[in-house]
Amino acid sequence: MLVTLLLILLALLGAPLFAVIAAGALWGFYGAEIDLTVVIIEFYRIAEMPILIAIPLFTFAGYLLSESNAPHRLVELTRALLGWMPGGLALVSLVACAFFTAFTGASGVTIVALGALLYPALKESGYSDNFSLGLVTTSGSLGLLFAPALPLILYAVVAQQIGIGGGITIDDMFLAGVLPGLLMLILLVGLSLWSARSSQLTPFSAKKAMLAMREAAWELPLPIIVLGGIYGGHFAISEAAAVTALYVLIVEVFIHREISLKKLPDVMRESMLMVGGILVILGISLASTNYLIDAEVPTRLFETVREHVSDKLTFLLLLNLFLLVLGTMLDIFSALVLIVPLLLPIAIGYGIDPVHLGIIFLANMQIGYFTPPVGMNLFIASYRFGKPVMQLYVATLPWFFILFGAVLIITYWPALSLILTGRSY
Amino acid sequence: MSGLFYRVRELLHHIEKGILALLLTAMVLLAALQILMRNIWDSGLPWADPSLRTIVLWLAMMGAMAATRDHSHIRIDLLSRFLPPLAKGASTRITNLFTGLVCGLLAWHGARFVYFEWQDGIMVFGNIPAWYAESIIPIGFGVMAIRFLLDAVIGDQWEEQE
Repeated sequence: MLVTLLLILLALLGAPLFAVIAAGALWGFYGAEIDLTVVIIEFYRIAEMPILIAIPLFTFAGYLLSESNAPHRLVELTRALLGWMPGGLALVSLVACAFFTAFTGASGVTIVALGALLYPALKESGYSDNFSLGLVTTSGSLGLLFAPALPLILYAVVAQQIGIGGGITIDDMFLAGVLPGLLMLILLVGLSLWSARSSQLTPFSAKKAMLAMREAAWELPLPIIVLGGIYGGHFAISEAAAVTALYVLIVEVFIHREISLKKLPDVMRESMLMVGGILVILGISLASTNYLIDAEVPTRLFETVREHVSDKLTFLLLLNLFLLVLGTMLDIFSALVLIVPLLLPIAIGYGIDPVHLGIIFLANMQIGYFTPPVGMNLFIASYRFGKPVMQLYVATLPWFFILFGAVLIITYWPALSLILTGRSY
Repeated sequence: MSGLFYRVRELLHHIEKGILALLLTAMVLLAALQILMRNIWDSGLPWADPSLRTIVLWLAMMGAMAATRDHSHIRIDLLSRFLPPLAKGASTRITNLFTGLVCGLLAWHGARFVYFEWQDGIMVFGNIPAWYAESIIPIGFGVMAIRFLLDAVIGDQWEEQE
């Protein structure tokens, strides 16, 4: 108990999470008198899961895109296509951010790469400062539910490792995210339209649209390559990742020439910092999860919860609140590998579909990114746009309430997540 | 610290970046080649899949080593934001010391694991011994341990004095 408290204190003081988890696992196995190489044997399993190949490849593709002028082309294109509508620019921002986040995995890259383009553009077209700030900050995590976002992949990987719930595949997660993701997008577009009654419009110009299309011609096929490739049955997920990475590499380095060969190793290193961070936590947590399951922690946890919470609806409500708080403190990747192994058995006990749980989990974590007081994107946006964090709290509040509403709908309406996957609900 | 120390360190960082870039390039090309072969000739290289999975492990360890240098490991960091500078410095040293020791333990048990696998003559595929692939675990955690312990003892300004 003392050790647990000490570890929590170290984590709060800023010790890297992988070290905190590793210390917990080492201590647990030591207490159970099991040889500590078990931690390394579990860790080595990251070299035994073929699906993990997708993680460095998609991350690399996302970093390449964000380092090139692709964000600019993406904004220009959506602007030419949607800018004539009332609230068009807000719509542009939301769609562009969702698309971009799906590829970069909500690591704050969206705010840095796209927010910098969109925030001035929004203000220029007459949106208020707070509206613009709220929009770009909120959009930083929008798109998390769209393929091929890393958190969807990671949830399936973690769920498969626990080995319960009858085979969750990444394809299931990709399909399950579509409608809930669209729901969030539509609700936010609604808020934008309502707020933007007075903003000025740019008339639609076929010429401009064609020009923007031609500019972005190389990036346009990306969603088709990824989604068409996977659902057309041409590629497995890791193959789609390989094709995406190679395609983006050729386009941005050799065709657009926006990333020089000299700079390429830096971009590669930068993207692998994130991959290293995520995979080391994943590998270590394989060991800690193994210990927790050996010690029957999930079962005991479930029995305790069962004593106090009798019905599914109450459980779901408590789950929402718990995840909301969790999301403000833990980043999405650590939360996935640490909490899902504990949560999944409990949720299945209450008859919740594991795929649905994944969508609830991720949707909740998505708003955790900008839940005051410590949501990560609030600080990134504050730093990026040079605004006090207090202003960001106020600016994101309406967006927060709308997305919290979306999370509740997603939670209590399983069909929304499950209908496309063909699982029963 | 002598100039030689910094020159050696710079060189090591360059090598580290080079290996990372090389591994990632190999992964992209190998994975793409595998798809091509499967779709055009309906065959594949038998060693490609185990190699790709090994590269994942190597990228993870090398990425984590680099993340240690850049202080970009995933952390919560809730309290230290509100600490006064002096206490913050102390807490950074304590957490670095702790992380360095944990990495040291992981490196030690990683080395034992590699040793056992070498003794048992385990192969990854064909006649490539598994310990080749696995050796990055003790090496990676070992380098991380050194970096965290240096941060704890000297303080992290040693990184910035270029």
